[in-house]
Amino acid sequence: MSAVAPAGMTERAQRRDWTLYWVYPVAAAFVLIFTAYPMIDLLMRAFTADGRLSLALLSETVADPYNRKVFWNTLILGATVAILGTVLATLYAYVIARVAIPGKRVWHFFALLPTISPPILMALALIMLYGRRGLITHDLFGLQTTGLYGFTGLVVAQLISYFPFAYLMMLNLFKGLDASLEEAASTMGANGWRVLRTVSLPLLVPGLAGSMLLMFSYSFADLGNPLLLGGDFPVLSSQIYQTIIGMYDIPKGAALAVLLLIPALMMFFAHKALSARMSFASVGAKGSSRHREVRHGGVRAAGLIFVGFITLVICLQYGTILAGAFTQLFGINYSFTTKHLVAALTKSRGALVDTLLLGLVASFISVMLGLLIAWIVARTRARGQSLLDFTANLPLAIPGTVIGLAFGLAFNGPPLILTGTAAIIVAAFVVRSLPYGIRSGVAALNQINRTLDEASTTMGATSGQTLWRILLPIVQPALLAGMIFSFTRSVTTLSAVIFVVSPHWSLVTPTILSQMDRGDVGEAAALSVIVVVMVLAVIHGVPRLLGGDWREAR
Amino acid sequence: MQQTLAKAPVHAPAESPVPTASSAPAKGQTLAKALSIRHLDKSYALGGGRRLPVVTDFNLDLAPGEFVTLLGPSGCGKTTVLRTLAGLEDFESGEILLDSLSIARLPAHHRKIGLVFQNYALFPHMSVFENVAYSLRLRRVAEATVRSEVASALAAVGLEDYGPRMPGQLSGGQQQRVAVARALVMHPDLLLFDEPLSNLDAKLRVQVRSELRRLQRRLGTTALFVTHDQDEAMSLSDRIAVMKSGRIEQVGAPEEIYARPATLFVAQFVGKVNALPATILDEANGQVEIEMLGTRLRAPSPATGLPRDVLALLRPEAVTLGGPDSGLPGIVEDIEFLGDLTEYGIRVGDTLVTSVRSALGDAWKIREGDRVGIGFKEQTIHLLPRTEAAV
Repeated sequence: MSAVAPAGMTERAQRRDWTLYWVYPVAAAFVLIFTAYPMIDLLMRAFTADGRLSLALLSETVADPYNRKVFWNTLILGATVAILGTVLATLYAYVIARVAIPGKRVWHFFALLPTISPPILMALALIMLYGRRGLITHDLFGLQTTGLYGFTGLVVAQLISYFPFAYLMMLNLFKGLDASLEEAASTMGANGWRVLRTVSLPLLVPGLAGSMLLMFSYSFADLGNPLLLGGDFPVLSSQIYQTIIGMYDIPKGAALAVLLLIPALMMFFAHKALSARMSFASVGAKGSSRHREVRHGGVRAAGLIFVGFITLVICLQYGTILAGAFTQLFGINYSFTTKHLVAALTKSRGALVDTLLLGLVASFISVMLGLLIAWIVARTRARGQSLLDFTANLPLAIPGTVIGLAFGLAFNGPPLILTGTAAIIVAAFVVRSLPYGIRSGVAALNQINRTLDEASTTMGATSGQTLWRILLPIVQPALLAGMIFSFTRSVTTLSAVIFVVSPHWSLVTPTILSQMDRGDVGEAAALSVIVVVMVLAVIHGVPRLLGGDWREAR
Repeated sequence: MQQTLAKAPVHAPAESPVPTASSAPAKGQTLAKALSIRHLDKSYALGGGRRLPVVTDFNLDLAPGEFVTLLGPSGCGKTTVLRTLAGLEDFESGEILLDSLSIARLPAHHRKIGLVFQNYALFPHMSVFENVAYSLRLRRVAEATVRSEVASALAAVGLEDYGPRMPGQLSGGQQQRVAVARALVMHPDLLLFDEPLSNLDAKLRVQVRSELRRLQRRLGTTALFVTHDQDEAMSLSDRIAVMKSGRIEQVGAPEEIYARPATLFVAQFVGKVNALPATILDEANGQVEIEMLGTRLRAPSPATGLPRDVLALLRPEAVTLGGPDSGLPGIVEDIEFLGDLTEYGIRVGDTLVTSVRSALGDAWKIREGDRVGIGFKEQTIHLLPRTEAAV
């Protein structure tokens, strides 16, 4: 085509830079097929009656008083968990960030433990401790109570499961607060409490709101705890499950899913709007982030007691699971045994292997795909990139139960049948992890000066070669962190996979659920222990396995 | 356009060494190419259909092996011109020719133009060797060739033994040299420098710039250098193109730019200057008679005709100070000690004239308020029309 070929340049050299032409379609196709299509399919099911577009199904569902109760239950539970969780998280973060107490690393570690274990594990431990034959309620106090089942149990289980995420968020906020502002306040004569009340807390308000929205959406999305602890306090996620699995009423299940989707999306966009505002709050000259620790004796004692108590509660949970895994029959016979462990490793070997394998494959795909989309967004001026970004990020807002249901329904019939395959599980994992992959990819790419791309280009590299030889190796540590995060998220989720597992491809979390249903507490506990160990092994093992990183050379 | 280009002469293959008389290129070095930039226009969209012009009707020709500097204040469009040449930015209209072959539509990665970045842009995850070898690896050059090419490129910048180091272990000056070696190893048709010395400290900058100049002379590669530092431009360049607001104000040899600036902007950008209002009284025999500082003088006549009202440009170092009886009488108004030189502000009538000189070891100590006499050679006066006195 071009008549301007300089001498010595080969035919091949005249080709255009095609990288974007395959990266974009691949990314867009994935997002279209696995995010947009199942969700649209689900909405279509909820908004059609007799093959026509209609609100009949939805209004019928809303009109049902029972469904309304379920809806309110969901909101009340979410609000309670959001408020209590944020209070807990803020206090915990404040003590860790600002109060002079010993053993901070220990307190920090235990607070984060629930972030890497399946939330269903909390329900299991709570039942073992405080249930009808619970170690504490029955054996210690001689109570024969079902008080755990219902609202109280759900609140406690969700608090322990999800407050750590809010804690992490608040901790970063406390650490990021400009110390000089507080110092300025104290030089003007404000005491510690007054500084906290008049300076720190107002600065934290957006963070507090963010934490509440986060807890809210986690509570919405939780399926395992409501299934095991819900009792006569049904919430939407468990109701969807019962409707689909118990009654096999797909249209009603879809309608309920839409009912869950609406508040979830509202929370998500409220959170988005809020974080956009939050960035303005930090405008100004960069101040010091070195904070003076509170040394007041009473505050230190209270802080230590507080974090100690929370840590004790968390440890009790994990200790119980551990004990349950290694005793004959928890609550009856406490003699040591490895039979549950052996049973878990043999009977559930398939589930364990599948979980590990599919989790690793999915985390790799989501990180690579995330990087490609991040590259399109951060490094090219391709049209429609913001739509691609938006759609790929949407699963952040959608509760796992809804995604899982959408997947289960959409890929159970033409044009694309994936039911029973590993692909549907991997796709479900990837769709849910992709937003985090993109986010970490964009953050990592934004750290790399564009002149590196340009230098590579002037030296003769296509953008694909630049991506592969320059950008990828540099962002590799970030990718690894993203992979681990994605893996953890995948293997611990129940809600997103319960509708897509099959006899061919089973996973650990649904297996634990069915063992609990059968009353097989020992095996469920053993399997839980194995999952936690597996996740810890991946978190600590994989980076070491992959060896040194170039930054060490500096 | 395509037809003329198709008829353009075929060049010697890149690898064949073609020695020339004066500057014999190193082995494997491409014969230096001429660069021609014609009517380059570039603007940024402002939204609402409006556009902000950044480069306007830019024309510049570089002879093979020539070292030209684009000099101008930040935002004048000089870096944009450079990036356009490298193919990193699009442009609206114009033509870029290397030895009369257009490269304007060629994607950046096919242009064979070496660009040295302000921040060096070394790949942090690659050793020095791999950084330099990068362009060769992209072309799948045989390993033995890669080794020898990288070795000679590193040797050219005096970093023979630094191959295994990581960029993070190098000093700023060393990183800068690696960036140069990385550009050289491509045997580029054109070398571009985007303020490559601005991140070095003052002493190192002077040293590296003379090394850079020697290297370019030895290799004979045509080079375009962008800077806002007039010292750098003066010391490095065969010619300087002074830019302002996306246009070239003047192109010329450093001495010419300094002694006979085309505009007041150029005069002020390349150094301190006294711009004194003057009036032309008469013109004859290549000389003009002017009235300035309340006296009549003869100055060299510029080629083009001038209006009656002119500005007489006089560099401070051309202004000498003497006793009150010598030259034009003035009063010392302020003194600024600069280390190597001392700057004096002399009030002559109602005009302030600046003079610099080394005051070291002077028996005669000038103080503020002293009566002095100023003098200058009439040939050092350069006249400009007074219309743009507002600049």
